[in-house]
Amino acid sequence: MNDFSDLESQLKSLRPTPLSESFVARVEEAMTTPAPEKAPENIIRPVQFQRRWIAGLSLAAAAAVLLLIRVNFQTPAGNKRVASVSPAPTSSAPVETTQRQTVPSTLIPSGATQVVYHKRDEGLRFVQNSDEPMRRMRSSTRETLQWRNPSTGASLRVSYPSEQIELIPVSGQ
Amino acid sequence: MDNVVTHEDWKVCFSELGPGLVLFARQWVHSLADAEDIVQEAFVRFWKRNHSIESKGLLYAMVRTIALDVIRRDSRRARREAAAMSETEQSALAQFQTEDESQQALAAALDLLPKDQREVLVMKIWNELTFSEIGQALGVSQNTAASRYRYGLAALRKTLPPQ
Repeated sequence: MNDFSDLESQLKSLRPTPLSESFVARVEEAMTTPAPEKAPENIIRPVQFQRRWIAGLSLAAAAAVLLLIRVNFQTPAGNKRVASVSPAPTSSAPVETTQRQTVPSTLIPSGATQVVYHKRDEGLRFVQNSDEPMRRMRSSTRETLQWRNPSTGASLRVSYPSEQIELIPVSGQ
Repeated sequence: MDNVVTHEDWKVCFSELGPGLVLFARQWVHSLADAEDIVQEAFVRFWKRNHSIESKGLLYAMVRTIALDVIRRDSRRARREAAAMSETEQSALAQFQTEDESQQALAAALDLLPKDQREVLVMKIWNELTFSEIGQALGVSQNTAASRYRYGLAALRKTLPPQ
């Protein structure tokens, strides 16, 4: 560190441009007038946007899953209908028929994974309506949900990326 | 948290910290007016929330947050400013009161540093923050802050003409 002492003293001899009178007057005016609470909201808009974006993505993923499940529900129903118009069951078939009745032809959740592949500390932030700073951690993950139909062996897997922002309160000094 | 807000108190603090804060803000927005807006917003919010003025790291974190949000909000303007910056190359000199050519060279060299090194130098040299406070403001460890400081000084030395 001592090697840089000459350079440090040179840097310290550089004086930043002093504040202009008009700037100080502007700050004085802002300090004396009651601050509208709308200003901070504008500042953290990107965070709000991120949250809404994540919520929107989650809803879209959930809707897609429901749609796919519904499609899968309809296929076994069609099969049943075909079976009902087929000739009367022979003596060799009863076992299969009872199996179909006891095991519902539905997709059952069989697995869910969440892989965090990137986590970043974005430093201290001041969020809306909070007097204390918070540390913002951003995690990029990929979530995979899996369903399986035990009667047919069919499976459905939905995988989507997601991003989470975690605000951790930081104690003051 | 015991800074009693009086009219004169904030003026004293602002006159001490203001020039360094504006210098700090100008590394993201090269126009003086924008830097002043950012500093004004940060300082007023900081003061009205009754944070202790000793927590300079928080004040810098606030300036940084607001500056980065301004850039995100208007990235086109940031690009325009970056272009204007490369054309004129006068902003570095305008940020300091230079007395001779060596100081002008120093100010220009400082402006060429990578942002992560420059911001640490600005906080350390002109605002006398500790590495712990710098680390708190930037969300890095104090060792990282100290390393960036040393790298910054080394890079400055390389850039400057030998005396």
